Amino acid sequence: MLFYSFFKSLVGKDVVVELKNDLSICGTLHSVDQYLNIKMTDISVTDPEKYPHMLSVKNCFIRGSVVRYVQLPADEVDTQLLQDAARKEAMQQKQ
Amino acid sequence: MDDSEHPEETGESVPDASWPENGDQWSDKGEEEDDECGLLQEMAEEDEEIDLYNEETFGLDEATSGDNPAADPMDLLLLCSDNSPTPPSSPPPPPISSSPHSSHLPSRPGYRVWPHTPTGRSQRGRVGRGQLFDDPAVVKTVAGRPSLKSLDSAIVDCSLSSYWEDLNSNTWMIAPQKSSKPPAASILQDQAIVGVIDRSRHGRVPPVSPNFLSPMRPFSTSRGRRGPPFVGSFNQRCHYQPGGFLSPSRPLSTPMPQTPKLMHLQFGTDSPRPAPFYSPSANIMQGFGAPGPVAQFHPQHKRLLSQRQQRPHKKQVSWDPYSQIMSDKEKEWIIRLQMIQLQSENPHLDDYYYQEYYQRMENKLAEEEFLGDRLKKEPPKLTTPYVTKALSYIPVVHIEGSLGQVAVSTCFSPRRAIDAVHANTSDEEHKDIRQQKRLEVLSTIEKLYIVLLEVEEANKMKATVSDKDEERRLMQNIKRKVDQLYNELRCTNLLDSGEEFLSCLLISKGKRMLARLLPFLSHDASLHILSVVTKNLPVLMSKDTDEALTVLYPSLRVVIDRLAFSQLIRILKEFTATLPDSKDTRLTLACQNKFGLSLLYALLSQGERLLSSDLPMEPSIGDFETWTDTVFHVARQLSQTTLVEPLLLPSNLLTLFCRYLDKRTVHQLKNNMESATGYLAVAS
Repeated sequence: MLFYSFFKSLVGKDVVVELKNDLSICGTLHSVDQYLNIKMTDISVTDPEKYPHMLSVKNCFIRGSVVRYVQLPADEVDTQLLQDAARKEAMQQKQ
Repeated sequence: MDDSEHPEETGESVPDASWPENGDQWSDKGEEEDDECGLLQEMAEEDEEIDLYNEETFGLDEATSGDNPAADPMDLLLLCSDNSPTPPSSPPPPPISSSPHSSHLPSRPGYRVWPHTPTGRSQRGRVGRGQLFDDPAVVKTVAGRPSLKSLDSAIVDCSLSSYWEDLNSNTWMIAPQKSSKPPAASILQDQAIVGVIDRSRHGRVPPVSPNFLSPMRPFSTSRGRRGPPFVGSFNQRCHYQPGGFLSPSRPLSTPMPQTPKLMHLQFGTDSPRPAPFYSPSANIMQGFGAPGPVAQFHPQHKRLLSQRQQRPHKKQVSWDPYSQIMSDKEKEWIIRLQMIQLQSENPHLDDYYYQEYYQRMENKLAEEEFLGDRLKKEPPKLTTPYVTKALSYIPVVHIEGSLGQVAVSTCFSPRRAIDAVHANTSDEEHKDIRQQKRLEVLSTIEKLYIVLLEVEEANKMKATVSDKDEERRLMQNIKRKVDQLYNELRCTNLLDSGEEFLSCLLISKGKRMLARLLPFLSHDASLHILSVVTKNLPVLMSKDTDEALTVLYPSLRVVIDRLAFSQLIRILKEFTATLPDSKDTRLTLACQNKFGLSLLYALLSQGERLLSSDLPMEPSIGDFETWTDTVFHVARQLSQTTLVEPLLLPSNLLTLFCRYLDKRTVHQLKNNMESATGYLAVAS
């Protein structure tokens, strides 16, 4: 639940999602679910010439398993808190 | 599966039935049953409201749909298949079984395809046998959009209802047919629909089969279009929920007493519109408040989102022909299904990052607002409901005598094949010893981090708990853990250098840990750490490649502010003493380092504060001389060397210097300090 929780805190922020097929989508994170499927609104492809079919797409749903990277705004992330959350999760696992 | 149960339950009410043929009789029977159950009466009322809603949404009235009674079942397919008169035996591709299946159905008396399943129901999916196809929405949409999708939607409805039928055999809610619409019974003879129903009878058709739904449909439905009419009837539909929602929740899990409350929170009849959670109800831009109807945001998060929305997002989504495939209820239902899986028994732990992040943000904002003399009242925080999980899972099963482990893989721990055991190898290599020691220190720190987290948690709980005994117990617990941390950190020796704390101070993680531990330590302990830091400042500064020392500054500042004069003097003496292996003092080195300089400033500032305040000090002999000497020394050094920018420039430094030094030196000093910081060092 760690990354679900993490992405929940980023809902509403602008992110860039890079998929495994090399498509990079920039937009506002609208929602995320436990499988880390991502819904984005107001998207734009970072390289429009290569993907003209995406010109008219404004919102999208991305299956979690096809995501390679999610680029986040650095000031929206508290890395210390993330470390703590990871430690807690690890602790929970052990129990 | 559960269909077999149905005949027993319903057998008495519906006599026979060749299902498609006796559509007329069904409706009559339906009315009889109405009296049997009060719940059904409610459903009937809701049906009327749905009718109203349908009219508003689709611009239909009973009359028009009534005019269509003799709608040829073939029309459905005809329309769907590109206006070519295809015979029903060649139905469109999606899983529609062929005619042999339909023969099963008449043999099932009283087969009720569409019990009233409110959550899954769309406005189309009104119940009552035969009513589905009669529903003006279905008819109309089919007529309007001769495409596969419309057929799909009908199928989806069917499968949905039969799914809930399976689950809810005892919550048999049938809405009787109130309207006098003759059912378009002939439609029921439609191969496609018959086939699907049969399919769902035989096997579980997932309520939302991905095949059926158009993959091309963007998730943002054109709620905008539907906005105005929907809004009008929203209230009416509101109380549709509580009764209706129970059906999916009941079979699915543990008791959820919060659910009606949830509903109330979200869909209370007086709830403002658009309700922040109810995103599908409005234009997607407007409804940014929630990704789903049950997404519950921290109030802080909500505020952020709403602020964001105020930015002009004026684009209107044009009418989307596929937007009615699923109704809002259906969408909500699916989202709720997902949310149910996410309900945790310990939301604070499972959802730790999110909760903590927004709590901290809230605290920070509250502080700022407090400083600005503005207090905001936060509404009570909503969290995912708290349920007790019955089952626990064992991630790894170890069979005695076997090598490795049998891993039970779940989504949390996919696979654990081996235990990565930390082997203590004795290495002869000199380099490796250092490396190994470092790893040991790192692992110690990591283990201690857990203890630190427990301390912080206990501390937070202490603030909230009211019971005195509990509080005392917590405090004891905290103290014990803090002592453990202190002792363990002290003893980790890197290369037997003999200096306490040094090994963990040289590692960034250790610095952070100490910074977090310092607030919990007693004054003496923290003083000890401060002196260690000061003494080893050159080493620390030289090895601080990633500027991690600065994390220590805030905690040390707090410690310094509590120093007594003589303690302060002792620390300051370290600064001016020459180092054993070089002719520099710590002072000269500190001027080049942000942290060192800030530390120095902090110490001087504290001294000045102590001296200028009226508090009685107990200086030891020679303290004042040492103090004056130090000040001179520092001033001379500061004015000569170029300074780096400190983390914080205390305001009373110049006052201090003015008192002891001549004007020229002070002026020089001031210039030097200001040039580093870029803003004026105001002499207060």
